[in-house]
Amino acid sequence: MTGRLVLLGRLLVRDLRRRKVENILLLIAIAAASGSLTLGIALNGIATQPFTETKTATAGPDVTVRPLEPTPAARAAVAELVKTPGVTGHSGPYPLAFKTMTVHGKTVHAVVEGRDRAPAPVDQPAITDGTWVRPGGVVVERAFAEAMGVRTGDTVRVGDRALPVIGTAVSTAFMAYPHAGWHEPGRIEGDHGGLVWVDRGDLGAVAAGQPLSYILNLTFAHPPTGITFPHDVFDVDTPINVTTWAFIKQENGRLLADAQYAMMIGTFLLTFLALAGVLGIVAGRVIAQRRRVGLLKAVGAGPGIIALSNLVEYLVIALAGAGAGLAGGWLLAPVLTRPGASMIGSVGVPLPTRGTVIAATVLALAIAGLATLVPVIRAATTSTIHALADAAAPPRRRGWRVWLSRRLPTPLLIGVRINARRPRRARLVTMNTLITTTGLVAVVTAWAHDPTLSSIGDPTIPDPRNARLHEVLILLVVALGTLALINTAVSTWTAVLDARQPLAVARTLGATPAQAALGLAVAQLLPALPGAALGLWFGYRMAVDDDAPTQSYFPMIATTVGVVLAVAVLTAVPALLAARRPVAETLRSAPT
Amino acid sequence: MTVLEARGLTKRYGRDSALVRAVDEIDLAVPAGQKLAVMGPSGCGKSTLLHLLGGLQEPSDGEVWLAGRRIDTLSERALARLRRDTIGFVFQSFHLMDELTAVENVELAALLAGRSPRTARRRALHLLDQVGLADRAGHLPAQLSGGQRQRVAVARALTNEPLIVLADEPTGNLDSAATLEVLRLFEELDTTLIVVTHDTRISAIADRMITMRDGAFADDTRLAGAVRAVRAVQS
Repeated sequence: MTGRLVLLGRLLVRDLRRRKVENILLLIAIAAASGSLTLGIALNGIATQPFTETKTATAGPDVTVRPLEPTPAARAAVAELVKTPGVTGHSGPYPLAFKTMTVHGKTVHAVVEGRDRAPAPVDQPAITDGTWVRPGGVVVERAFAEAMGVRTGDTVRVGDRALPVIGTAVSTAFMAYPHAGWHEPGRIEGDHGGLVWVDRGDLGAVAAGQPLSYILNLTFAHPPTGITFPHDVFDVDTPINVTTWAFIKQENGRLLADAQYAMMIGTFLLTFLALAGVLGIVAGRVIAQRRRVGLLKAVGAGPGIIALSNLVEYLVIALAGAGAGLAGGWLLAPVLTRPGASMIGSVGVPLPTRGTVIAATVLALAIAGLATLVPVIRAATTSTIHALADAAAPPRRRGWRVWLSRRLPTPLLIGVRINARRPRRARLVTMNTLITTTGLVAVVTAWAHDPTLSSIGDPTIPDPRNARLHEVLILLVVALGTLALINTAVSTWTAVLDARQPLAVARTLGATPAQAALGLAVAQLLPALPGAALGLWFGYRMAVDDDAPTQSYFPMIATTVGVVLAVAVLTAVPALLAARRPVAETLRSAPT
Repeated sequence: MTVLEARGLTKRYGRDSALVRAVDEIDLAVPAGQKLAVMGPSGCGKSTLLHLLGGLQEPSDGEVWLAGRRIDTLSERALARLRRDTIGFVFQSFHLMDELTAVENVELAALLAGRSPRTARRRALHLLDQVGLADRAGHLPAQLSGGQRQRVAVARALTNEPLIVLADEPTGNLDSAATLEVLRLFEELDTTLIVVTHDTRISAIADRMITMRDGAFADDTRLAGAVRAVRAVQS
């Protein structure tokens, strides 16, 4: 047993040393998949921590209540709710007006809350710059201020009144910008808008006769945990809107929904791309290791040892890939998981949880296992003589392709026949192109989405969801591009090695080097075309809602054409090199 | 009329103390229709000479003329066209496409030359019939014996009606019976043939036999019919 372990260890070390480039490519492929999973998990947990920190720092309410009718009677009725059993604290009701804020030539919706200078026991917004409200000044919610380019000291027009900005602050009593709950007086459905605070005494002047609404902040001995709140808790005849802290937290998290969705899809695509890449590399390596398999068998190694000697190397690389992915994801996480301007505190850079470590490791091992199991078992069960002869698996005959290719020009004839020899490799090329095109088209389509808020009052205000989404998209483009590049290079190189002999024969029969090189490039391009076409469709469907306005198709089609051209260029270089190889040399080294 | 001519043909590998003259200033003229056997021990430069004559390798020095045209200075593209139209190759390892049937292997050269599929197929079937494999046209190489495979390779070499056929150890992987089949086939050829071989039985069909040693010709013998018969019996 010890002897076998020593043998396995020696083979492992030798393989790791001998095939450095391949090992690095395998490592990158697996690390990209597990790294994106780590990031995806980190991004999914992002909304929780900053909200909780901000709620604690601002003594945020467990529940807010607003009357739907802007009448003094409704206000009085809501004020009575502080006597509800279980309520442990309250502030307000504070008056609200739904006005506009004008700054730098832009006029946007603003929810204006009238507040007292004295700190409130519930919902005391945390000042992030300047001071809290005082007569004649306005405090702007921080995310809203950042979006509008407003700083302390600027002057803004709230309604018809020009007011100096005396500070910025954050709160959890309202949903984060741009979902502060603005609506036209008398209407229930809301529009996008930001939040500002003015002195309670100034609100009447700011409202300029508009009927005021109110908000009451409550804390409970047993805060509700759900996003809905049972209305029968409150004994009130007035129609009211009740919002729980859990609902606000959930809605704030939706600002990251696009980024989270993109990361989830990206992880999915990267996993498949990594699988395709590992499959390609492993297939080539198992062919190269065939002779060693024969030698080991000849000296008495059983199928188990043979399988282990091949498998253990990939498992070690997979574990290293999982570690690299976790480390990469952990290092990149702060870029994507920093809290938005509407929250304070930070998510920090906690070490990946045990669940994340397990998930990334399982993913890496699954990729390695799925990609290697079949070729490894095949190598283990192949006959000793066959393995010792170092004979590659005979190419498969595809009669109809041979028949069809007879009618084609020489480069196409060569290309179709090379593909017909190794249909599995052609399918890998299709899969690689499909996933790459899907990812890139989805990214381009998502990037081209309307980047502005549709209903905040000014059509040029950017949608804050896009910033985080774009960061994720850039990350995905880099990861997808890297893996696709690796996969294409590996696949092309494998094709070049496999096609050496048939190409050399074709050249002795009169095919020119250009025809041979073109044929090899065609062999890679032909399976890439359906992959690109399907990828265009999948990517478009993935990124576009059915009810979204029709976009320009140009960026998507240009991306697809770009992918095909990239495959062509990446294939042409090794194909040209292969076609320059002396024919006699190839024929001499070809197996009999 | 001379079909193929080599003047001072040289192929060197390496340099200084590691310099190897695989082919050393060889002069050769092969008349049309001649069946030339080039013999010699392993490593004497036979295969390299054949590759140089067929334009598969570039000489270090010297000239190669085929049908009155100098070919050692041609581009790869022009050489490819030349091989397609005027040279047929037969290799020891057959070099058949494993995934193509016998007839598909034979017609490949015609298809590469731009012939229509129908013409290519007709010619391939005719050649397979000539080499006695009409009933094996639809078989894959793996389903054929070594001799049959080599006969398919010979048929393929003849597909485009070449001026000359160059055969590199064509019987090296064959048993006695298969060797005789192939030699009989070569004997029936009415095209110029250069065979590089170890096999002395080739003398039964050769008009001329050159022995090579250390990259140079050691012996150049014209064989009359009677001599051929005697040598064949001896071998």
